[in-house]
Amino acid sequence: MNRQDLQTIIYAEKAKEQNNKYKHKLCVCCGAGCISSGSEEVLKKLQEEVVTRGLEAEVEVIATGCMGPCNQGPLIKFLPEYTIYQKVDCSNIKEIVQRQLIEKKPIEDLLLFADSRTKPFIDAREDPYYKKQMKIALKNCGHINPERIEDYLVHDGYHALDKVLFQMSPEEVIAEIKQSRMRGRGGAGYPTGLKWETVYKYVSPQKYVICNGDEGDPGAFMDRSVLEGNPHRVLEGMTIAAYAVGATKGFAYIRGEYPLAIKRFELAIKQAKKLGVLGNNILGTEFSFDVEVRIGAGAFVCGEETALIASIEGKRGTPRPRPPFPAESGLWGKPTLINNVETFAGISPIINNGGEWYSDIGTPKSAGTKVFALAGKINYSGLIEVPMGTTLREIVFDIGGGIQGGGEFKAAQTGGPSGGCIPAEYLDVKMDYESLTSLGSIMGSGGLIVMDQSSDMVDVARYFMEFCMDESCGKCVPCRVGTKMMHDLLKKICEEKGTRIDLERLEELAVYVRECSLCGLGASAPNPLLSTLRHFRHEYENRITE
Amino acid sequence: MPKISVTIDDKKLDVDVGKTILEICKESGIEILTMCHLKGLTDVGACRLCLVEIEGINKLLSACTTKIAANMIIRTKTEKIKRYQRITSELFFAERNHVCSVCVANGKCDLQKLGYKTEMDHIRYPYLFPECNVDTSHPWYVLDHNRCIMCTRCVRACGEVEGAHNWNVMNRGYQVRVISDFDTPWGESVTCTSCGKCVHACPTGAIWPKAIVQGQLEKKPEIIAELIEKRKMNL
Amino acid sequence: MSKKKIATIWLGGCSGCHMSLLDIDERILDVAKLADIVKCPIVDGKDLPEVDIVLVEGSVTSDEHLREILHIRKQAKALVALGDCAVTSNITGMRNYFDLKEVFDTAYVNAVSNDKEGSVPDHPELLKLRDKVVPLQEVVKVDFVIPGCPPDADTIFYVLFEFLNDRIPNLSEVKKLRYG
Repeated sequence: MNRQDLQTIIYAEKAKEQNNKYKHKLCVCCGAGCISSGSEEVLKKLQEEVVTRGLEAEVEVIATGCMGPCNQGPLIKFLPEYTIYQKVDCSNIKEIVQRQLIEKKPIEDLLLFADSRTKPFIDAREDPYYKKQMKIALKNCGHINPERIEDYLVHDGYHALDKVLFQMSPEEVIAEIKQSRMRGRGGAGYPTGLKWETVYKYVSPQKYVICNGDEGDPGAFMDRSVLEGNPHRVLEGMTIAAYAVGATKGFAYIRGEYPLAIKRFELAIKQAKKLGVLGNNILGTEFSFDVEVRIGAGAFVCGEETALIASIEGKRGTPRPRPPFPAESGLWGKPTLINNVETFAGISPIINNGGEWYSDIGTPKSAGTKVFALAGKINYSGLIEVPMGTTLREIVFDIGGGIQGGGEFKAAQTGGPSGGCIPAEYLDVKMDYESLTSLGSIMGSGGLIVMDQSSDMVDVARYFMEFCMDESCGKCVPCRVGTKMMHDLLKKICEEKGTRIDLERLEELAVYVRECSLCGLGASAPNPLLSTLRHFRHEYENRITE
Repeated sequence: MPKISVTIDDKKLDVDVGKTILEICKESGIEILTMCHLKGLTDVGACRLCLVEIEGINKLLSACTTKIAANMIIRTKTEKIKRYQRITSELFFAERNHVCSVCVANGKCDLQKLGYKTEMDHIRYPYLFPECNVDTSHPWYVLDHNRCIMCTRCVRACGEVEGAHNWNVMNRGYQVRVISDFDTPWGESVTCTSCGKCVHACPTGAIWPKAIVQGQLEKKPEIIAELIEKRKMNL
Repeated sequence: MSKKKIATIWLGGCSGCHMSLLDIDERILDVAKLADIVKCPIVDGKDLPEVDIVLVEGSVTSDEHLREILHIRKQAKALVALGDCAVTSNITGMRNYFDLKEVFDTAYVNAVSNDKEGSVPDHPELLKLRDKVVPLQEVVKVDFVIPGCPPDADTIFYVLFEFLNDRIPNLSEVKKLRYG
């Protein structure tokens, strides 16, 4: 299929959308969160209800990806009104359809956040939860059917790829990405454009592009939602990257615990190949690029790029020392570009709107938006996307609806087992790479766990240490034995059996493990410990026996 | 061969390009502690003993896997590095059950030597005392997990030099173990050729020949590199 | 200068370290010039008086050992852990991978040499073994350690002689560090 063919399809789909016979679109969230609270049943019942009432000619019912507030699910959304109902039960579907579609009087008690707002918003976009957000990577998530490529095409899907292939040289693409000042969303925040340029510069007959979807931080589910809600966006980002760096083969490494993401991404690959936006001679050009899915088998360390590469190669998933970096010698020793799901999801908007547009969003050093997964003692847990530099207070209180049960905010844990805790006195910290690092935490991939006064910080540190201890690959000594030692010492302190000497040893080990470990897992494993020691040292001191 | 100049421990050296920091140090008589390195095998950077400080790089890099580059200023024996080497040494000993007095390798053990070099007189961390098996199923050799430090020299010697791939690693974290085939007794291995390379590659008393007692153990780890050299000869 | 007081103690060990101590032979006279040996195992049963240096052989394996080492710590200015058992728990620690009951059953009930009535001895006078054997530094502050199984007589003499002359010994420096 060539460019004209694709455009024909897009025009046809757009025309269909414009001359839509449907007056309403009813989106049912079928992200993993809502599915687990029964949204598939809701979807079925809604479809039946629409048919029973003979509304099938004017109401279209579709399954979409994540809408955001996961703990309020199952969620359904009526377009164009943008009215969202929460915690929809099969028993109140009849009433919802009756009131919303027939009587045009929404049931306020069932609207999104009805149980916590004095007056819920009929147009959910007015709600501070959505108002404070800015969706770039998650744009279209929750509006389109992720299992239909046509839905994506209508919303400017593969437009960026078309632009790149027909109007831009690889150098220009890289320049655009560099101008956007985008930084890798996997956690370390390495400038994306610079990484692309490095891979581009290595001359090799074979290069690879890898999408890292081995999201493993406890409480983090950004990548899952993007892959489930808009897989084509990621695929398009990968294809553009491949064009820019000169790769012909790509791998999407998705963790096995995300069956739905895997299913939808594989479907996306199939659809994209059929439409000629992936595979040989994409859109009739010389450029060919193919993507395969590789399923992670549940090792956290395989999120580390060199371990991930080893895993794709069919070896034991253990990291190797860098340098050489994958950009020079990656998959099967070839130059390899490896980016996170969210990074790839941000590529096509940059190409469509220009690097300058993206670089104007966020803070001077951290451009663009960031997806966070809110979890813990927060009222509205789920997925949000905000401009970089949004304060923690805005995220927790304005968007997240504050602490559950009116409790008091104690700390927010960012960056999962590699990150740290931010105490209440830093609630006004701007969420960007540098600010979080200066507080002893990290941006990480975007997990944000909110804790209230009932949280015991020593136990939090112990929990994350246990996680790292279990997930250490066992290759290098500092991580293999150091995390076990630190865990045992933390456990001892938790049980109030620890001494001052134990605390000293703990601190010494933490610095040792951070500096000596082979890969990022070990090097960042002491972060939760060090940051709780920094901000909550008294909680440790109180447990010490002399 | 083109030369580049580097500074190691305040000594200016003109060295060959393309070599690792460890190779250069060995050639120049600068001692670097190693455990997982064995000449002839692929370096994996697992023991972290050969970490060095390089000016301008904000993290410690393993000398065995880092290629030397022009104008590098390298320090191998700073107080920090010595302190970390001692901790590594202590963690090795605390991890499994290293009872030197009953070990066949006593007096000829690289791990003991490491302890002496790092001036480790005692271990400050609690011993983990894991339950470890001893595999005596092979007719000639013994594998004692109590004394294994997971340097994986046996795994690499078996895979890279003998090509048998009998040894591998299973589990993760502190529960990792070297395994024969798919964790079957060594004596029942279908891949082991009983060549004995792993015995010589092993730096401790974890793999040893059955017919000997303490004091009789003679390991020749250098045979791995010698074998590789001899294979290159056109005989 | 008044003479220093030395004592030696035998906890959970095989007394090999004391044998090695005796191997300093005639150099004991050099020690005697500088110090009085006020308590030794077997030869006397008196309570440990306040001493300058105490050499402790063996690990902490029973409640009695724990009580003793805590008392020793109070009485001694310098506590020296003598030998691998005191420093690392060594052979005595090899029962730590098992349950205590398993250890007793293996020794007293299931051993081939036991008769059918074999039972775990249970007399109030017997030591109560602790679940896990630990080296000295896990329960008290240790001032100096002499590893080795047993440590060389030369090493023991070197350490004693340095302490008696108010110097801090350094085993690494004199290449006397040895395990096993």
